[in-house]
Amino acid sequence: MTTYVLRRLLLMLPTLFGISVLVFAVMAMAPGGVGANLLSRTGDMRPEERQAMIAYYNARYGLDQPMPVQYLRWLNNISPLGFETLPGGGRGEFGFKTPDLGTSFVKNRPVLDLIAEALPITLLLNLLTIPLVFAGSIVMGVYTARFRGQAMDVWIGTANLALWSVPAIWMGVLLIGFLASEQYLKWFPTSGLSSLGSESWTFLPERTADGWQRGYLLDALWHLVLPVVCLTYSGFAFLTKLTRSSVLENLQADYARTARAKGLADRVVLWRHVFRNSLLPLLTVAATILPGLLIGSVIVESIFSIDGMGRLVVEAVQLRDRETVLSVTLLTGLLTLASYLIVDVCYAVADPRVSYE
Amino acid sequence: MKKRGGGSNLLSFLLLGAILISVWLAMFQVDRQWAYIRDAQQKLDAQTRDIAEIRRRLNQGRVAAAPAESAVPEGDQRGFARAARATARDDYARGDWMVQLFGDTPQRLTPTISTDSYAVDVQQLVLDTLITRDPETLEWLPLVAESWRVSDDGLTYRFRIRPGVRFSDGEPLTADDVAFTYRFIMDQRIATPRYRAFYSRVSGVTVEGDEVVFRFDEPYYGALEIAGTLPILAEHFYGRYLESVEQAEVYNNATGLLLGSGPYKLADPVNWTPGDLIELVRNDRYWGPVQPSFDRVIWKIISNDAAALTEFKNGDLDRYQARPLEYRELTADEALMERVQHYEYFDARGGYFYIAWNQRRGGEPTWFADPRVREAMTYLSDRQRIADEIFLGFAQPALGPFNPLGEQHNEALELRPYDPARARALLAQAGFEDRDGDGIVESPDGEPFRFTLNYPAGSDDYKRMILLLKDLFVAGGVVLEPEPTDWPLILEAVDNKSFDAITLGWTSGFEVDLYQFFHSSQNGPGGDNFVSYANPELDALIDAARMELDEPTRMAMWHEAERLIWEDQPYTFLFRRARLDFFDGRIANIQRVRAGLNWPGLWRMPTEWYVPASRQQH
Repeated sequence: MTTYVLRRLLLMLPTLFGISVLVFAVMAMAPGGVGANLLSRTGDMRPEERQAMIAYYNARYGLDQPMPVQYLRWLNNISPLGFETLPGGGRGEFGFKTPDLGTSFVKNRPVLDLIAEALPITLLLNLLTIPLVFAGSIVMGVYTARFRGQAMDVWIGTANLALWSVPAIWMGVLLIGFLASEQYLKWFPTSGLSSLGSESWTFLPERTADGWQRGYLLDALWHLVLPVVCLTYSGFAFLTKLTRSSVLENLQADYARTARAKGLADRVVLWRHVFRNSLLPLLTVAATILPGLLIGSVIVESIFSIDGMGRLVVEAVQLRDRETVLSVTLLTGLLTLASYLIVDVCYAVADPRVSYE
Repeated sequence: MKKRGGGSNLLSFLLLGAILISVWLAMFQVDRQWAYIRDAQQKLDAQTRDIAEIRRRLNQGRVAAAPAESAVPEGDQRGFARAARATARDDYARGDWMVQLFGDTPQRLTPTISTDSYAVDVQQLVLDTLITRDPETLEWLPLVAESWRVSDDGLTYRFRIRPGVRFSDGEPLTADDVAFTYRFIMDQRIATPRYRAFYSRVSGVTVEGDEVVFRFDEPYYGALEIAGTLPILAEHFYGRYLESVEQAEVYNNATGLLLGSGPYKLADPVNWTPGDLIELVRNDRYWGPVQPSFDRVIWKIISNDAAALTEFKNGDLDRYQARPLEYRELTADEALMERVQHYEYFDARGGYFYIAWNQRRGGEPTWFADPRVREAMTYLSDRQRIADEIFLGFAQPALGPFNPLGEQHNEALELRPYDPARARALLAQAGFEDRDGDGIVESPDGEPFRFTLNYPAGSDDYKRMILLLKDLFVAGGVVLEPEPTDWPLILEAVDNKSFDAITLGWTSGFEVDLYQFFHSSQNGPGGDNFVSYANPELDALIDAARMELDEPTRMAMWHEAERLIWEDQPYTFLFRRARLDFFDGRIANIQRVRAGLNWPGLWRMPTEWYVPASRQQH
């Protein structure tokens, strides 16, 4: 097992290298060029400033050098082992150093800072959403399999399919229009993650002179309701169907019949025997959870004005912000590979027939 | 092996998740409390300093029983006249908040290195300039400078700094700070190439007593604006970033280093980062004779239009800038109109949209090199209809590069109407006639007249406008092929001059310098004369106007220049858009002025808006 894990870990390096070469090449070959866009983003730049900006960025990031040189430069910057970069742009000594993800051209800030701002927000949303989706789908999947062909199965299936077909962008606008507008029901806030002035509130609800103050925790959760609903509703369909088919298959298996024959309660057969054996396909899907934690939804983030990873990445791609795109790709790639490895190890744990020796 | 059922396992996982999330949120909360404590600490420090200062003066016996006004700096106070009139109104009150909208998060508020226009909106309430403009007459008025003199040769500008001006941390603002700001911007270690290019016309800034002197190498009509609108940075605050390369890098990466002498300030002038609330608080030490009215000015970041509109309707947002269709729908909503006020106006600094006709492509003159062809294109572009139908009347047709609200515009010029017959006649003169009877005119070589029009992809208004133009052009026998183009590709096409025609907009100012757009020297790399337009007469006129410091003479030159452009039609000028603003009903004293509305635009002025005491809600 240890050799297997080690081998997989070493194999990750060339894969990551390949990913970065590919992304870099695509960015470099995109028409319009990497640096073209940053030069007049606000549209009010005077021409002499434009020239100055081009010269400045060329000197600072070497944008005028050939692509392979730029790539090597970038690779050197992100690698923990390599030449140090001096403040003036020169090359320092060879050795261990802190990896540098670079500076976003468009936002003119270190990529690491940008990720550090966006990631916690996306993590928070996903940590709420993913368990909800999985818990809901598993319960629905098991019961629709148990009551196959009956009214509940049909209703849940239809409802999930219907929800799955509603585009998030429309759903978000509907939610805001009906649940956050004074004209209808003003139950939820329209945007952001906290109320104005909530920084001076306590964490838990408290009673103040002018009535109940909902406190920071409830305020944050209150702001999260609509975005989380928007992220969740369409996820049920796929996982429910997956669980359902897997449970169905196991319900008809010999061991399930044997369990029932020896007099076990239906509930016990379903949850203790059949459900546990139906987990394997879910595990495969779970491989996407880890990288999925990092990926935000650009649509939901834009609708609810949340500055998460989704907007960061999509904006970076649209504006050809090379350093940001490369860094996020690298991180996502790393997490994807890592989660595949973890899932493969989990297979061996969950299913004794699987072995990597 | 005995294990508990899957259901309860799931439950414990969920519970664990909930605990983790609340721990996470609790950490956020602790962070916020730290920030809150830090703010309180800073206020306390400032007060301690003040008290120490008062005590020192008391001990020296320097406190005289002077009338309260004498605390206010003396000298020319015309810059405050409008704000003073606002405070004299019956229902004037200070207090309440003003909540505005940003469509996206500004990446930094640090002056000189911020790149988005949002940051400018924030900075102009925090940083002062030497002089400002009257929003109605557009004349220059003293602000931090109490007076200024221009040498006869127009190369030296002397500003006398008003005594008693203080930064929001209590330190006095002196001529040294102004000279420092120039030094700071010109320092190569500071990542501010845009500002450096703008101020490169200034050859030096020196301090002589309480005067600061700007020197220029050659006379330039915009010199007063360049020198007078330099945002003044505090040397005691920003000076440390020039000490070493490492310190300069700290500045270059700082997101929220903002401290000035303006009417508002960041509660914490050092630590703002994107994601924090953008909130300015009243500068309690504001030096001007009129104190700012709002307690706080806040910008909410809402990226979705529907959400922003809902916030405004809910009364959580005080200002909303609408698009034409929205504006028409909202003004029809009577219940809403009782609570809000709305303004449609043109801004004297409003830019224009145009179609640029490329006259040289790949070193060869194009069909558009013939002025008759360009004029024909203008006759085919029904600009009145674009303004009426695409922008629902909330736009005005444009005929030249100068805003009709400004002094530069030549009133004698007339808009060319939509006239396909005239266009066909002009095309025929230029040799384009329909020889094979298919309705499309052909060049003398028999090539049908068709061209590609690039326009920025993603804008619905653009798309509808271009489709309308396509229909109109067919009437003149010309085939327009619309090509929606991504922004980076548009810039590339402009740089390489690899396009037939392109439609874009230019932003503008109170006085527009035509040099960069239409001077023939600017058609190389770096210039914005990307249509390769050349007219020696216009070149000479632009060169002379730029050097001319006498305003009436210069305006006459600009009028003549606009006439030449009107004749040559290097662009077909399309339209200028109106601004459509909604405000919450609480905000009082919103006025339409020549510069737009009487809220600080791209120049500094004390705020004139306020909320009457009876309607304050925060």
